[in-house]
Amino acid sequence: MNKQQSDLFKQGTLELLILRLLNSGSLNGWDIMQRIELLSAEVLTVTPGALYPALHRLEARGLISAVWRPSDNNRRAKFYGLTTRGRKQLDAQLKQWEQFSDAVALVLRDA
Amino acid sequence: MNFSNLRRRWRALTHKNEMDQELDEEMQFHLQRDIERNVKSGMSAENARYAALKSFDRLEQSKEECRSARGIGVIENIVRDVSYSLRVLLKSYAFTIVVVLTLALGIGANTAIFSFANGILLRPLPYPQSDRLAVLEETAPGMQNIGVSYPNFLDWRDQNTMFEGIAAYGQSRFSMTLGGEAIEIRCSRVSYGLFEVLRVQPQLGRTFTMNEDRPEEDGVVMLGHDLWQKYFGGDPNVVGKQVSVSGRTRTVIGVMPRGFRFPEVSQLWVPLALTTKIYTRNDHGLEAIARLKDGLSVAQAQSEMHSIAARIDELNPLTNQGLDVRVTSLHENLSGNYREALLILLGVVGCVLLVACVNVANLMLARATARQKEFALRAALGASRWRIVRQLLFESLLLAVIGGALGFVLSVGALRLLLTAIPIDLPVWMNFSVDLRVLGFTLGITLLTGLIFGVVPALQTSRVDLNGTLKEAARGSSGGRSRARSLLVVTEIAMSLVLLVGAGLMVQSFLRLRSVNIGLDTKNVLTAALITPRAKYKESERAALIKQIVAQVSSLPGVESASATATLPLNGNNWGRGLTVEGYAGADQTPIVQHTVVTPDYFRTMGITLLAGRDFNDSDTKDSPDVTIIDERLARMYWPNQSPIGKRVRFGPREDNEPWHTIVGVVSKIRHQRMQEETDPSVYLPHQKIPTGGMSLVARTSSNPHDFIHALRHVVAQLDPDVAVTKVATMDEVVAESIWQPRLYAMLFAVFAGGALLLALIGIYGVMAFLVQQRTHEIGIRMALGASARDVFKLIVGRGMKLTVVGVVIGVGGAIALTRLMHSLLFNTSTTDPFVFILISAVLSTAAFFACYLPARRAARVDPLIALRYE
Repeated sequence: MNKQQSDLFKQGTLELLILRLLNSGSLNGWDIMQRIELLSAEVLTVTPGALYPALHRLEARGLISAVWRPSDNNRRAKFYGLTTRGRKQLDAQLKQWEQFSDAVALVLRDA
Repeated sequence: MNFSNLRRRWRALTHKNEMDQELDEEMQFHLQRDIERNVKSGMSAENARYAALKSFDRLEQSKEECRSARGIGVIENIVRDVSYSLRVLLKSYAFTIVVVLTLALGIGANTAIFSFANGILLRPLPYPQSDRLAVLEETAPGMQNIGVSYPNFLDWRDQNTMFEGIAAYGQSRFSMTLGGEAIEIRCSRVSYGLFEVLRVQPQLGRTFTMNEDRPEEDGVVMLGHDLWQKYFGGDPNVVGKQVSVSGRTRTVIGVMPRGFRFPEVSQLWVPLALTTKIYTRNDHGLEAIARLKDGLSVAQAQSEMHSIAARIDELNPLTNQGLDVRVTSLHENLSGNYREALLILLGVVGCVLLVACVNVANLMLARATARQKEFALRAALGASRWRIVRQLLFESLLLAVIGGALGFVLSVGALRLLLTAIPIDLPVWMNFSVDLRVLGFTLGITLLTGLIFGVVPALQTSRVDLNGTLKEAARGSSGGRSRARSLLVVTEIAMSLVLLVGAGLMVQSFLRLRSVNIGLDTKNVLTAALITPRAKYKESERAALIKQIVAQVSSLPGVESASATATLPLNGNNWGRGLTVEGYAGADQTPIVQHTVVTPDYFRTMGITLLAGRDFNDSDTKDSPDVTIIDERLARMYWPNQSPIGKRVRFGPREDNEPWHTIVGVVSKIRHQRMQEETDPSVYLPHQKIPTGGMSLVARTSSNPHDFIHALRHVVAQLDPDVAVTKVATMDEVVAESIWQPRLYAMLFAVFAGGALLLALIGIYGVMAFLVQQRTHEIGIRMALGASARDVFKLIVGRGMKLTVVGVVIGVGGAIALTRLMHSLLFNTSTTDPFVFILISAVLSTAAFFACYLPARRAARVDPLIALRYE
């Protein structure tokens, strides 16, 4: 992804993606990064410098919570999961996102 | 913020290390997975690690972001900023000491003056609901407060509907003989109901009854707490005991609680016990205080008292014509004298603090230049601009707080010093102890100070050009900053000029006041108040006693002459009475004249010239014809073209058949009441005729009057140990004391303005020295190109003087605008006195020249070879 695209990839969007990914189960930071790249067919990439502060912000806002447990390679890793509030936030943001992208799509199609 | 959030934040704060470790571990885990993946995809271990680290850009910065996401940022960073600030300040301790001392002096001076103003202007008076208390004063056309007459007071008390109660009182000094020693007690005669008006209950016993407020029934006394403790050992059974007050035996009926004094410092009270016969409508010497009914205002009371006064005037045209009543709140009445001067002084010290702030801001800016690399480095390491601003503000606040704490300590000492410069007995209502208001004020100005001198440098400094600064030394790159510093210097000079002009005017005014010709020869005159026990001496005996004391004192070796007077000039004692001139058909008003009762030789002793006729002498006795001596002003008023000798006048109201007094002498005029102005004309009467108590002894000595104090006391003690000798002072001291207020204000003004001048000079010196240092390179080039040392010198001094002239011009404008406010504090001095303005501008410019001189000389000695290599 080139520079211009990454600028579009704003903080709010990253947080939405994180919430969405965690909706299906808890993940550690590295996993989240891999998933975003994988699922976006490597269009979207996240640097650790963006990801970890975002995770800690979400944690601070009580939208996700973290536990330490062993990962697949048997090392201790920090796993993040959605809290109830996080789930609500995800629903709300998804709805907003859908409205927004529908609207953009409509304009792009009909304009 | 919900509870779990709070708990998390708490944990973030208390388990900081643990959480930092977790953060490290999380990052390590991530790196490890990256490396593993890279190895799997076929990289060498070394390359895998390198690639992983590379993808993990700005590792430390993201850690910092994660930390701040924890939400602990604020508190933790504060702790860190403070400790960092402390380290920075300790490292540059010379800077810190200069700044802290500057601030301590500025804040200390402000706190001291504020405590002073607080004790007088802001503190509530020590009486319950003191805001309801009002003072009633009688005024005559052109004269404020001529004193209340007893019959008028009775009319007010009967006719008003505005007050819960009115009480009248008169102050005097009584002697009491306790423990074999005659002591002088400040005492008041008070009308029935005074304590009720004040709403203060006695601690023991009761207050005066209406019945006791009559002559012959008034053999009672109330004691103040301190007096009771000191002379009665706090005896709980003191009520009912007999004590001797001024030679008369009175029964103690009550003791007032600790801390109660009224008025001023009185702590012994006896009934007023007057009649309208003894105290006529023409005698004005009492004071009156009243308590307003709830819901009524001073203005309402004023308008009612106005009409009551008009009614009394109508019924008693001879005595009360033109007399009116002025109602003021007690607090305003007491503090009014000081209000204006205190407000101006507060403004003055405020300005000094501002100059101090400007100076400190200047120092901070200079230092900031030296620290530019430090900030650039921090910015490069991920510190945000806000973080750097905050860091700098913390340093400023820390400096301010240390300065403020030190200043507070200084202020306690300064206030004590200030109070010793006040020669009068401070009334009890003036309370200068530290209270919450003073603490709040100090804290407030401390923080404000920190912000004022901190904000500009912080914003200036934090605007770092990262690349530029890190790449090269900050040579010549601070043009904007030096403009800011020049602006600060101009401000400083302008402000100190305003202060200096103010001080110059005050000093000028004080010097003029001091050199006023009061009509007395005050050199080598000793004065002392004699308090004779009232009941021990009947009137004629008292006159004989005074005569005897005067005779013995004047026969002391080295005493040229001695006399006694009931009212010492410039001592706050006045006795005004109406005057009627026999056969005078001019304006029908009775002028108020200053009544002075004296013994023979008074004029010679005090250096008053006898212009015509004779002095009093031993043949003016109780039974001889009534005589008086008048001053030249009265003589000119009624007998402009003839001799007043042999003419007759009488005192008191016209309808009374007071005896006529024959004028036997005319003396030169003196300023009896105030040095500032001529007041009422004077008449003198012989003490043998009017043997009042409370005489002051005056003695002209051939050498230092202080050497005669012991002999004088000895003479009095020999004649009667029950006569108290107090207030021993030379006449010069009495005169100096009468103008203590202008003296104190001039002194404070001068001290503060001097401080501001010093700060401004340090400021301009600092800026010029900095400029020379910054431009050493440029100066080197100029000299290499042929500029002489003289040219360089002129360049630097020229720049400094340009700033000075701008500052002086602005300052003169400011001074013209501001000194108008101090008009009422000045005596015979215009607020735009050109002499003061020119002198101060010249002094300031000269001083500024010398402040520029040193850096300029250094610049002129620059060796171009060295300068060109100079980084």
